[in-house]
Amino acid sequence: MNITPTSAVTATTTTTGASTPNTQENAAFAWEYIKKEQEAALAIPVIRVLIEVIRKSQAATIMGLQKDLEHATHNLKQCSFNTSISLNSVCELFIRFVTRTSFDFPNFDQCKITLIERGEQLSKKSANSRTKIAKLADRFIRDGVTILVHGFSRVVLSVLLNASAQGKRFSVIVTESRPDSSGYKLAERLQAAKIPVKLIMDGGVSRIIDKVDYVLCGAEAIVENGGIVNKIGTYQISIVAKAFKKPFYVAAESFKFTRSYPLNQSDIEFLKEEKDTFQACKSCSKCEHPESLTIDSPTLDYTPPSYITLLFTELGVLTPSAVSDELIKLYY
Amino acid sequence: MEQPSHFLNQLETFILRLKRKRITGSFSVSLSTAEILRQYISTTKWSNAKHLIDNIKQMGKRLIETQPLEFCIGNIIRRVLFIIREEYLALRVEEEENPTIKLDSSRNNLLTYEEPMDDYSESFQGLKSSILDTMGEMIDELKGLYKSVAGQYKDHIHANEVIMTLGSSRTVEEFLKEAGKKRKFGVIVVETAPSLEGHQTALALSKCGIDTTLIPDSSIFAMMSRVNKVIIGTHAVMANGGLIAASGTHMLAVAAKYHSVPVMVCTGLYKLCPLYAYDQDTYNDFGSPAAYLKFKEAEFLEDVHSYNPNFDYIPPDLVSLFVTNSGGHNPSYIYRLLQEYYHPEDTFEEEKDD
Repeated sequence: MNITPTSAVTATTTTTGASTPNTQENAAFAWEYIKKEQEAALAIPVIRVLIEVIRKSQAATIMGLQKDLEHATHNLKQCSFNTSISLNSVCELFIRFVTRTSFDFPNFDQCKITLIERGEQLSKKSANSRTKIAKLADRFIRDGVTILVHGFSRVVLSVLLNASAQGKRFSVIVTESRPDSSGYKLAERLQAAKIPVKLIMDGGVSRIIDKVDYVLCGAEAIVENGGIVNKIGTYQISIVAKAFKKPFYVAAESFKFTRSYPLNQSDIEFLKEEKDTFQACKSCSKCEHPESLTIDSPTLDYTPPSYITLLFTELGVLTPSAVSDELIKLYY
Repeated sequence: MEQPSHFLNQLETFILRLKRKRITGSFSVSLSTAEILRQYISTTKWSNAKHLIDNIKQMGKRLIETQPLEFCIGNIIRRVLFIIREEYLALRVEEEENPTIKLDSSRNNLLTYEEPMDDYSESFQGLKSSILDTMGEMIDELKGLYKSVAGQYKDHIHANEVIMTLGSSRTVEEFLKEAGKKRKFGVIVVETAPSLEGHQTALALSKCGIDTTLIPDSSIFAMMSRVNKVIIGTHAVMANGGLIAASGTHMLAVAAKYHSVPVMVCTGLYKLCPLYAYDQDTYNDFGSPAAYLKFKEAEFLEDVHSYNPNFDYIPPDLVSLFVTNSGGHNPSYIYRLLQEYYHPEDTFEEEKDD
């Protein structure tokens, strides 16, 4: 899965010095890349794009560079294809990274070179994070376990595929994960890897929970108090798991850590614009005039840390209370 | 790496003694492991930290195999490895005066720039002596363990309280004895079948003039409503704040939770392991049922299956406080202590053997 955006970017960028058309080109390129490389984590193309921005930047001072980057990240966030909230956290993380590096290297040219070098290393690290997480989570997958999975997370998929490749025998129960029914995709992939898979309705979780050993989910964002923001339905499942004393594990990369502290469900609304929610439910409705009904169908929900047992990240296996510590280290 | 044959002999004797359980009890095992490691570091020739770390890891694997459920062997080894790494980095920073090397544990951080695999292979003059100094401090800390835990009784035990305890933990005994010198309180000791270790504790406490009551395991729930606090020892503390403790402790913890009685664990931090247990069987073994089944009746017991697990796993939400030699800690704080005592590179020792 080798990423070589540099050649493509030089081809698409025009010779104008202004940063706006550049970043728009970059953003479009990033989206093309994301669409193509289904397997890659979001962080990699975003970091690459931002490194290109630094490379192409005409700024002569650190402040100018940071301004260019902020402009670029603003454009990226505004793009209509921004469907993932981890894009915001990756951008913030990268800007933080630039600021920190600039403290170590007061000389601008030296700084720029170091930034590009370290940026490459950062994207390489992010590419490895899934392997590291799979290794860490490996201990928790023993022979004979039944795992309940919600939503389509590529991290969770790589964890399960990794364990199965080692010859471990376990079975997986996948929820449909409406409204986008991504559970079907996951079930297909698992079945292709010869892992016994059962697909259930989202509403069928309580009925099947006592046959399950633990629940494993991905996360779109990990918030400051150790809670997660994930596909709608995650909170519900975590409550059921807690009621039945089943562990609830989350597998996510550390670049999803965000500096926000939601106190309730409505606090996560700023993270993502909910558009076209009606679209999702229309296809299944059996009534004649579905347009006349008011439908509230958010795509994300927030799971508080008290319902989460452990988080598997490439920084290690963390308890929810350890997350804020890690955030402080990242952002101090 | 040359190892003087004298040391090899000692190592083999030590391993044999561990295997034959001549040395039992976490405290004695830890102390003797630390001593033998200190001896190894001071007597054998090693050129740089990397060699030392590799050799100790190899030795460590052998030592852990002798008593796999005695976690403190692995803990002491990991602490020594952490000390070696810390001293190495401290000397490195001094020599190079390079500000980009950060000594704090943010090594794992996504944003820190990793110098391409710092493999600890440089040799420094003062490394040996600084490692031995820090190890000496660690051993002293270990020896002074009971005193430092017992000294915290003032915050936790008040006059006319009823305290329940289980099993025979030396840390808890010293804690209660120290408190008994100055305060008047009552202790209910649970027998802890089938080992009946509670009898020893009850005897020791009543000899010191503490008002002691001995009860069988089945009365735990019935007596719990009259108890103010539960104070227990443990065999090991897991990375999520859970406990591996004597069989019967889980029952005690659940009864305490039902009655909203706080559960305090008195332990030394050498029992803290960077491992996760998720059910009763992850780190457990079984003892002989001869403790409660008579051989005389064997012919009638042919079709009877009997389980005598040695340990219980207690999940972290049942524990209220850890009273340790470094003060009182919440179970959710345990992850922080892990970072201060162990290096993540050394955590996967067990995995390599799997």
